[in-house]
Amino acid sequence: MTSSDTVLKVVDLGVSYGGSPAISRLDFEIRRGEFVAILGPSGCGKSSMLNTLSGLMAPTRGRVVVDGDELYLPRSRDPRLGYVFQAHRLLPWRTVRQNLELVLSASEVPRETWEARIDEILEILHISQFKDAWPMRLSGGQRQRVSIARALLVDPSYILMDEPLSTLDEVTARSLRQELTGICQRTGATVVFVTHSIREAVYLADRILILTRGPSTIFEDYHVPIERPRDYDDARIREVEADIIRRIQVPWGLDMPQTTERRSA
Amino acid sequence: MTAKTLPLARLRLLPPGGPGAGLPGLVIALGSMLVIWQLGAIAVRPWIPTPADTAVEIWANLQSPEFWLDFRLTLARVLGAFALATLAGAAVGILIGLSERAEAFFQPLLALALAVPDPVYIIFAILAFGTGEVAGFVALTVAVTPFVSNIVRSSVRARDTGLDEMARIYRLPRAAALRHQLLPQLVPALLTAARFSFALSWKLAVVVEAIGQPDGIGASIFESFRLLRMREVAATAIIFILAMQLLERGVLGRVEKRLLGWRG
Repeated sequence: MTSSDTVLKVVDLGVSYGGSPAISRLDFEIRRGEFVAILGPSGCGKSSMLNTLSGLMAPTRGRVVVDGDELYLPRSRDPRLGYVFQAHRLLPWRTVRQNLELVLSASEVPRETWEARIDEILEILHISQFKDAWPMRLSGGQRQRVSIARALLVDPSYILMDEPLSTLDEVTARSLRQELTGICQRTGATVVFVTHSIREAVYLADRILILTRGPSTIFEDYHVPIERPRDYDDARIREVEADIIRRIQVPWGLDMPQTTERRSA
Repeated sequence: MTAKTLPLARLRLLPPGGPGAGLPGLVIALGSMLVIWQLGAIAVRPWIPTPADTAVEIWANLQSPEFWLDFRLTLARVLGAFALATLAGAAVGILIGLSERAEAFFQPLLALALAVPDPVYIIFAILAFGTGEVAGFVALTVAVTPFVSNIVRSSVRARDTGLDEMARIYRLPRAAALRHQLLPQLVPALLTAARFSFALSWKLAVVVEAIGQPDGIGASIFESFRLLRMREVAATAIIFILAMQLLERGVLGRVEKRLLGWRG
């Protein structure tokens, strides 16, 4: 792996709150174009990790390096990243286009290219017809598509996705999940995807970073051995899912293997 | 009888909003008020004028240039104090809502200011600045600002902090985040504060004029009271109250509709 391939490098990362550790020690790298899922039990420090990776919260210890620039140094550059939240977090008083323009206005993207860029991204997400709609008029799935469009729009070094499908109904989640891999491949986006669903992680990711219970460390860097395109109901997905459940049963202290999986439609 | 206890068949016949809602309700309310007013006028004659006498006096007032001069003066005072108190109150409210340091400084002052009866401000302003325009302007602004600050502060505290995070992650400059992300969230509270500020401003303006100004609607009402011309007191007050209500509902209502149009 060359250094230019590495988009995100996390070295000896630790986060504590008032002396109580939330993240014990994290070391990992993510390459350009990779789709990496983060899987961890509740309370393992995923939110703290996302906050440090998004530039919102300096870690107690360690380094976060984005495209060769270290974050949280006095003169470090702001990272250019996208974020897809669990809830869409669109501004309801701005139309879809206005929401996207606001994010572009804070980026280095030249103004004369905004219109074309917005059109292109909305086309990729299949929501061009909602360009001038208020977010309130959209369904949950459509809003989350706009949220993904917003993240892709700024040409980010990487996109953080915090359980973006967990609030959607299963049918919508399936449809968006299916499209997400295609969108990421088409745009070359690097994605860090946090989820509670093992099957979702197996279906979407190239690699899965499995965390221990909090204060977390990486229990396993799991490479998903299934080529793309994948089928969510494929037996191999289920086999890998079962394999991961077997591996985490003891470190996560699970009684029943199915407890971490959402029932599929 | 509450809506819950009404039989289902009757509930279906009621207009939205419950019994007496809509135009029939308004007619009944106005009719009842006129009847009570007339009875009061008979019982406490001559201190309460009859509705008919008051209507004649209202018509006379509307044709009087002196009345309109007073009206314009009072309106200017109300609008001036309203604008300053709303802007200052909103600014302080946002500051307190966003900054713990600012809250530590302003909160005790705010609590004290809210506890002071409004006439106290008026008396002290007259003592400090005399009976000119400044006293009224200062008294109104100082009395209204804390209420606006309090309403806006609560709204800032109750904002969606998820949107703050979104703004930080997408590196929105502070001014852009304030304008496009925070202020729109505060619009309902700002409108409530503006309505409250306007209502308080015109009521206090009349009191300020009655106590310490030689002109304006308040002074006119006080002069009529001094001469025991109760028809003039009632007529002037009614015209002014109706005008202020129309202004509030008309202008602020339109602003509200425009700013909250996205709600559909």
